[in-house]
Amino acid sequence: MKAVWSWLLELCDLPSVPTVEEGARALTGGGLEVEGVTDLGAGFAGVVVAEVVGKRPHPGSEKLTLVDVITARGGSATQVVCGAPNVPEPGRKVLWAPPGAALPGGITLAVKAVKGVESPGMLCSETELEIGDDDSGIIVLDADDGTPLGAPAQQALGVNDWMIEINAPANRGDCLGHLGLARELCALLGGRLVPPAPEPDLDALAADLDAAALAAVTIADPDGCPRYVARVIDGLTVRPSPRRFAQRLRAVGVRPISNLVDVTNYVLFELGQPLHAFDWHHVRGARIDVRRARAGERMTTLDGQERALVPDDLLICDGEGPVALAGVMGGAESEVSAATTRVLLESASFQPRSIRRTARRLALPSEASQRFERGVDPELAPLAAARASVLLARLGGGRIARGMVDVYPRPVVRPRVPLRLSRTRALIGADVGAAQCESALARLGCDVVRTGDDTWEVTPPSARTDLTREVDLIEDVLRVHGYGNVPATIPALRVGPAPLADDIADRARRALAAAGLAEAITYGFQSRERVAALGVSADDRRAHPVAVKNPMSAEQAVMRTSLLPNLVGALARNASFGLRDAALFEVGAVFLRKAGTALDGEPRELLDEPLHAAAVLTGARPSWLGAAQPWDYFDVKGMLEQLLRALGAGEPRYVATREIPYLHPGVAAHVLAADGTRLGEIGEVHPAMREQLGVLAPVFMFDVALEALPAPTPAQMRAVPRFPASTRDVSLLLDDPIPAARVRDVIAGASQPLLETVRLAEEYRDAAKLGAAKKSQLWSITYRAPDRTLTDPEVDAAHEAIVSRLLADTPAERR
Amino acid sequence: MTTSSDLIAQLERLGGDFAAVIAPLVDEQSIRAAQAQFLGKKGQVSEVMKELGRLPPAERPLVGQAANKVKDAIAQAVEARLEALVAAKREADLARTLDVTLPARPVGGGHLHLLTQVRLELVDIFAELGFAVAEGPQVETDWHTFEALAIPKDHPARDMQDTFYIADEIVLRTHTSPVQIRTMQAHPPPIRIVAPGVVYRRDDDATHSPMFTQIEGLVVDEGVRVSDLKGVLLHFVNRFFAGTGGRLGGGLDVRLRPSYFPFVEPGVEIDMSCGFCRGSGCRLCKGTGWIEIGGAGMVDPDVFAHVGIDSERYTGFAFGMGIERMAMLRHGVNDIKLYYEGDLRFLDQF
Repeated sequence: MKAVWSWLLELCDLPSVPTVEEGARALTGGGLEVEGVTDLGAGFAGVVVAEVVGKRPHPGSEKLTLVDVITARGGSATQVVCGAPNVPEPGRKVLWAPPGAALPGGITLAVKAVKGVESPGMLCSETELEIGDDDSGIIVLDADDGTPLGAPAQQALGVNDWMIEINAPANRGDCLGHLGLARELCALLGGRLVPPAPEPDLDALAADLDAAALAAVTIADPDGCPRYVARVIDGLTVRPSPRRFAQRLRAVGVRPISNLVDVTNYVLFELGQPLHAFDWHHVRGARIDVRRARAGERMTTLDGQERALVPDDLLICDGEGPVALAGVMGGAESEVSAATTRVLLESASFQPRSIRRTARRLALPSEASQRFERGVDPELAPLAAARASVLLARLGGGRIARGMVDVYPRPVVRPRVPLRLSRTRALIGADVGAAQCESALARLGCDVVRTGDDTWEVTPPSARTDLTREVDLIEDVLRVHGYGNVPATIPALRVGPAPLADDIADRARRALAAAGLAEAITYGFQSRERVAALGVSADDRRAHPVAVKNPMSAEQAVMRTSLLPNLVGALARNASFGLRDAALFEVGAVFLRKAGTALDGEPRELLDEPLHAAAVLTGARPSWLGAAQPWDYFDVKGMLEQLLRALGAGEPRYVATREIPYLHPGVAAHVLAADGTRLGEIGEVHPAMREQLGVLAPVFMFDVALEALPAPTPAQMRAVPRFPASTRDVSLLLDDPIPAARVRDVIAGASQPLLETVRLAEEYRDAAKLGAAKKSQLWSITYRAPDRTLTDPEVDAAHEAIVSRLLADTPAERR
Repeated sequence: MTTSSDLIAQLERLGGDFAAVIAPLVDEQSIRAAQAQFLGKKGQVSEVMKELGRLPPAERPLVGQAANKVKDAIAQAVEARLEALVAAKREADLARTLDVTLPARPVGGGHLHLLTQVRLELVDIFAELGFAVAEGPQVETDWHTFEALAIPKDHPARDMQDTFYIADEIVLRTHTSPVQIRTMQAHPPPIRIVAPGVVYRRDDDATHSPMFTQIEGLVVDEGVRVSDLKGVLLHFVNRFFAGTGGRLGGGLDVRLRPSYFPFVEPGVEIDMSCGFCRGSGCRLCKGTGWIEIGGAGMVDPDVFAHVGIDSERYTGFAFGMGIERMAMLRHGVNDIKLYYEGDLRFLDQF
């Protein structure tokens, strides 16, 4: 909401006049955040009010005039050259920018010869001062303008003033007009509100005209329209509004059009009540009916658009059909025009929800609909109608028909809200006095009646529809009391619930960072192409992401079902600016439809949001003074095992698979917990997938579901060995496809109680020495007894038992 | 005829020979071998001593004494030689130099995302005041996100946070406040939680991202006051912005400015005094001396009614802040998108 400072002050009676900065500070402190203060007259300086005392043609040009101006009564005249066609007769006032004056755009005036005649400065137009868009001639002040000669032009133009931009909270529709803001200012600074007169003076009334005879009003939908006030003003002449009146509208961002339209806008900004002026002669049957639209009904709004209506739309109709979309936009046919002489003025109140829906559906937000959407006080309607009538009569030279038509089927009942001093103090945590409470609320326009030692009954002003409960009143007491006067305390700590959230995600993040990976955080949504890049089959929930109904872009169309595509995308992004070595991880939720629900369409219930931890490695590890060492599968495997250890998950098992579509068929494995639970996947990203996402070099990855991990139990100490271990090696010749895990399982499964650890110490292939498709492995096995030093024969016996088991259970030869 | 003086002379010569033998030797092993050659069972000294039996008994002690003297001399020569060798070796070792300005061999290299670091620090700060962490789903019901927080359909406040919809009654949560509702539904007071989490709004510019992170605080108990809210926030800004890890010095102030959020009453915006310029005017506070850091207020009785908490007996406060904004203010991040692009040129800075 834009407000003009002088306009606000007109509506207040304050003990001392605050500066605009003081006013802005008070409003901000009271919850009406002032987002900016603009000096309306800051664009120029040194321009003064001058009176024309003589004029004659320029000897060298037909288009130029030599004008004599004075800036003091009885002072000597100065001759200024002027090129405007509208130089007024002597006696009228103009705005003179003498040498030294500064105009917008950094121009400083000097004495300058114009076609051979020296001109000290110039007479100014609206566009030269950037206060309006009239460039047809110089500014000539109204004949009755009372600004003294020599005064700054700002004073005559009404721009020795400030525009303050206020961000009113969503529940303070009452502050979308100067009146509501003035009420706040009076409460915050201690003053009295001065609203406009509730009724026109008698001498503005037309004795021979009766509003009731000129307009009949019915309301068919009292929920949609709780009140409709109409007044009629006759004998109007359409003309431009006076300069300073129009200037106020410009200051709040409204283009002045003509007196009739300007008055309705002026009152809207002054009181917050939107008005509509109908040309009475085009209101057929001299009647207004407020009703909902009928199916299939259409009307042409004043922007010339024909609009199809729906039964939800609230209409203002005359005797024959719709003449306005209530609260949103007037109709083309009944619009005031240059020929209008009699106006039917509408000052009504409409249901916020109805206006909101219509304005949204037709994409027609306006100053009026914006206010109705937040709720306009029905009690304001007669005041606004009277105020606008007076202004119309004054600016349009008209007369006001006696009386007003007021249809008010649902009178507002102002709630009576009980308030306790004890509760006020307890909620705020400060010693607010009874007198302070009473005066704060009274200043805000509430009727406050003491009902007991601790209690009041408070009736808020009808404009304050946000005040319905005790706590609402306490807030207002606090606003006036000032949050700055509230002490800072720490709430007493009582034992509450134990920590609620598992911190497994953060434990995973710390472990992965320690493993050398950089954490990335990517969007929870992604493009359909990235989901498709996974290539998972149609029976996989991951192939059926949930769509965002109103995404901002195709890149954010669906919720991610895997962390992998966004991570590979991040690698591509890094590669695009030359960072080809990268090791990233992300820990976060993926979004899957609940098992057993439909795989397509909008979900009907919330989703599964399992937490995953995924890592991607590409390029080489950070190198040091030598050749780069490319990341490989065993790096990512080591990182995964470090993660699982940190999460207390124990040794995982790996089962090679060719069935994961986004992994290289020869470098892919399922990761299983010791009990066989599937934890996730590890391997090399399928070249087709990474290339589709823009990565040209191999990428190694793992992805595990953290929820699948067994709940960690506190690690228990095992006795530190007191006796030495013995190690024996065995060298095996194996067929290449036999996985290391199989050998290991045989060794571990040989039931040798002395066996402590098994380690694959060496592996090599050499077709010449070993034969094709063969490999040699050196296994190093450690034996220990907890209670004694083992003898060589004991160790040898255990070792030979294991070796013979190996030779029996695997196609292996001893080398 | 062997005489005692011959033997003594031989022994003394052996002493001299030994010195000559070990002089060029540079390792312990050969020195020990030379020692054995002279002093061992079949060593040269023993060879000489075999002659002892041929001497008259009265002369033997003289030769014995001479032999002991030679043995001692040899032993001492060995020790001295070995010590000299150790010293020479140490000296040679200490003569080594390394270019200590060569680059370090990379270690670790992994790190947490700036937003994670900040979030963990925020959680720690509130944990000092007894706050536990609570979480909730990102894809939420309209009821938890809006209705239960006193934001019915058609409420103007829905404009303030343009919502991504999944279905008519399912949304991407626009704030972490639904966690308040879930927590109050699940636990009777006293409640004291913070709920950090990802939220979504249809907004995209240098300071707004369609996905961002909030941290929400909620305290519900008997006798919770506006002053408690102020105290908790004062503790927070001074710990986070001015405390360990901060760069603003101490003594930051908090200003509560009345505002409107449907789920709190009274509702406030939280401003902190600008520690960057101390009020003298800067880009961050736009010259006002105050920086807006979030919203807060006392839990609205309508919200309590939705979750079945008696608002006469219990009061509470809630606050919410953007973690990106906290990090932007403290670390000078100037574009919110940098957080989500996985760009190592950004990530590696923190």
